[in-house]
Amino acid sequence: MIIDAHCRIGDGREVELKPAELIATMDALGIDRAVVAPGERCTAYDNREGNELTAVAAAESGGRLLAYAVANPWRGRAAIDELDRALDAGAVALAVDSTLQGFDLLDGLLDPLLDFATDAGWFVYVRTGTPPTALPLPLATLARRRPELPVIMGKSGATDFWIDAVPALLHAPNLYGDTAYAPWDTVLTGFQNEPGIGAERLIFATDAPYTVPVAEVDRIRDWPLDADRKAAVFGGNLARLLAHQ
Amino acid sequence: MIDFHTHTPAWETATWLGGAAFGADEFVAFMDGAGIERAVVLSHDGLFDPTPESNDQLAEFVHKYPDRLIGFGTVAVRRKSAVQEAERMVGELGLRGLKLHPWLQGFSMHERGLDPICEVIAGAGGVLLVHDGTPPYSTAGQIAALARRHPKLPVILGHGGLHDLWRESLAMTQETENLYLCLCGTPPYAARRILAEAPPHKVIFGTDAGLSEQASQDYAVARVKEIDGWGITAAQRRAMLIDNPRRLLDRT
Repeated sequence: MIIDAHCRIGDGREVELKPAELIATMDALGIDRAVVAPGERCTAYDNREGNELTAVAAAESGGRLLAYAVANPWRGRAAIDELDRALDAGAVALAVDSTLQGFDLLDGLLDPLLDFATDAGWFVYVRTGTPPTALPLPLATLARRRPELPVIMGKSGATDFWIDAVPALLHAPNLYGDTAYAPWDTVLTGFQNEPGIGAERLIFATDAPYTVPVAEVDRIRDWPLDADRKAAVFGGNLARLLAHQ
Repeated sequence: MIDFHTHTPAWETATWLGGAAFGADEFVAFMDGAGIERAVVLSHDGLFDPTPESNDQLAEFVHKYPDRLIGFGTVAVRRKSAVQEAERMVGELGLRGLKLHPWLQGFSMHERGLDPICEVIAGAGGVLLVHDGTPPYSTAGQIAALARRHPKLPVILGHGGLHDLWRESLAMTQETENLYLCLCGTPPYAARRILAEAPPHKVIFGTDAGLSEQASQDYAVARVKEIDGWGITAAQRRAMLIDNPRRLLDRT
């Protein structure tokens, strides 16, 4: 089973992905299920529109699509209310983008949302990279504060903060690496071979529509990893997180 | 096609980038398999320890296939010997350009010690390629400021701004006449937008080959293949892979 842990549907600044287009791509690539977040504007600002978009897409997908909930933490109590509505509508996880949403991972704003996610049995996807408010190691510190909450390190710090991904994964046992953009022969093998990390801490995502999805799938298919570990990366690990709910 | 961003192995330096050992024969075999006719080759050791010896070894590597491999050396920009080494690089060693990696090598593009080095490269008809996409020392705005000080020197943004600074890299390429942009590790959606909006003659492509744990450079092969999914026109592809890099290299 292949589960894509992160896509965005709807409109972005430079991209667009309709649910039907995503499902067609999944069919072509052998991806069974995908967890979808709304696009950039709805992640940053119009959370309600975004959560309704992903809820409808999930409900109409026959189980192929699962919805992330989004809420800008600057909205305070209203953000929690929004997550509550998304949970009722079937959301299975929380997606966070501190760069788009304009906060620091360690400033405390996100804490109530993480508490909500913990109580709901969700996992959390947090996008990381070069921005100083989206670095892997502060995310690891944040993740350690809630050891029961699984946190996916979206993009694993791509690209120049891939170097911080291993120490981040070692620092927080509940942190998971994301395969998107990461070559197996320079990055993923380093994660896999590191004692204390291994394939059970890696989760496949295409990050569509920012990528070429077939390239993301082929990268894992081409990785000379034994079948059990590859199955874990491709979907087993995420299925375990989803079953946790 | 021309791959404008590749590396030798690290022969002398223990680096966190890792990488396999390979010789020029194996590297050209990788190029043949990936459909790469010529490659600009940058030192790997020199990123971390920019010694004259790193340029010697780079020159030895590329001179084995002078029609296929083009070497860009590097210098320790704060050393008093930097200008002399730049002259040796483009003179005695026959290297065709300079690669700088400001955040790994630890300097700012605004340091005036760079100016005489750039004058040597410009005077030799060479090209400067700079790592970009990473604060605090490797942003396109910083690199464009240096390019404005040296208007006769073609300056290439080595990574097109990577994931988080590609819009800045695009904007600087648009407004700086002698600034070019190499799509190398830039995410596909950004590459597509850059190709649509940058001056058509200023975008080139690189794989960053040479850093793989496999001599076959699997990720670099995948990066070439991935272009098929970028959704770009045949004209954009040809300009990026053939015409634009050829124009930059053949001026030297």
